[in-house]
Amino acid sequence: MARTRPTEVHELGEAEAIRRAQQGDAEAFERIYRLHNRRVYALCLRMVGNTAEAEDLTQEAFLQLFRKIATFRGESAFSTWLHRLAVNVVLMRLRKKTLAETSLDEVTEPDEDAGGPRKDIGGPDLRLSGSVDRVNLERAVEQLPPGYRSVFVLHDVQGYEHNEIATIMNCSIGNSKSQLHKARMRLRELLQEFARDRAREERQAAKGSSGSGH
Amino acid sequence: MSPTQCAQFERMLEEQPDGPLAAEATAHMEGCTDCRMLWSDLEAIRTTAMEWGGQDVEPPEYLWIALRRQLEFEGLIRGSIREGSQRGWVSAWFGAAPRWALAGASISLLLIAAMLAGYQKNEPNTAALLPTRMSISAARPKLVAADLGKALDGDLKQVFDSLPEGNTVLTSSLRENLGIVDNLIAVCEKSVREQPDDPVARDYLYGAYEQKAVLLATAMDRSALEGQ
Repeated sequence: MARTRPTEVHELGEAEAIRRAQQGDAEAFERIYRLHNRRVYALCLRMVGNTAEAEDLTQEAFLQLFRKIATFRGESAFSTWLHRLAVNVVLMRLRKKTLAETSLDEVTEPDEDAGGPRKDIGGPDLRLSGSVDRVNLERAVEQLPPGYRSVFVLHDVQGYEHNEIATIMNCSIGNSKSQLHKARMRLRELLQEFARDRAREERQAAKGSSGSGH
Repeated sequence: MSPTQCAQFERMLEEQPDGPLAAEATAHMEGCTDCRMLWSDLEAIRTTAMEWGGQDVEPPEYLWIALRRQLEFEGLIRGSIREGSQRGWVSAWFGAAPRWALAGASISLLLIAAMLAGYQKNEPNTAALLPTRMSISAARPKLVAADLGKALDGDLKQVFDSLPEGNTVLTSSLRENLGIVDNLIAVCEKSVREQPDDPVARDYLYGAYEQKAVLLATAMDRSALEGQ
């Protein structure tokens, strides 16, 4: 629910706000921030899964935006420009973290040439039964490699179209679609792993309780 | 069902991940349990992601305050945004004309500036006089926080002494708002005690102290005006 803000900046259209911000107008900066802060913050939060980090990244994205706003000439949509900046800021952070934590991306990126759906042979039925637990999905998204995570969050969570993602991520539309599919496939695997772990724990718990009954 | 057909099915999904499924793919899925399961799972992931995206997330207000401070510091904002923004909430607190909010330097704010400047003289590559950006990477002094708290408490007595007698509206408004800010400070101080090395916790504490300083400064300006 939106809180009452200390400062209300109304009635200034985006184009006018941009023009005035380019001249250093304080009110215009705030207007631009208010217009876009929720979407940028949501994007950061869903990409990193951590409130403090999402706040820091949101701030960084807006700072970069305001530092460069004088160079904005309106060739592209302002929101696309901002979201591209935000995604880049997040990706930079994720890459730094990945490097620091010894990259697992290479081993978790599914094989480009792998053909056909992956089948689990001899395991329990790991179908997700047409429903996915939100908490598990968030957990699984956090484990995706940064590239897959970006496309998945932008498209499936934030609702961007592939052409927008292609502009933001500087890739082709086909590439965006392919990355999205691979991200979903990887998520499915992760969710199945979670289900397998849970089933194992339940079996062990059941064993434990039946053992203690004797 | 042959693996080749399943591979083709997945390729079609990759090319059109948002559907609709081609007739060929639908026909294949009808006869292939594995591909039907795959499709159903991917749909479930997509639906849950959409629900997740539908949830509203609002960034905290202090994010703008911190950002604004940084923009001022970098000189990106022409003039002082405080003239606009802080007047807004300060006026709302006291319900008075904004001119006293602009009445210049207050004891508290000068004190904070002086203390931070004093600290930052010892810090290499630091030119800011006031705390600027809340950042998990920004280093902040640990010692100054306690000093600020003491200084503000000292100011508090001075402010109450200066309030015009009989102005209960101003006094009660000040007390009420001090209560809010003090609660915030208490929460932030607790966070700093629990995580003394967390720069974010310290940043929030500084923000809370700064709010208190502005509140006291405003009250002093107001009482000075009323005394004229």
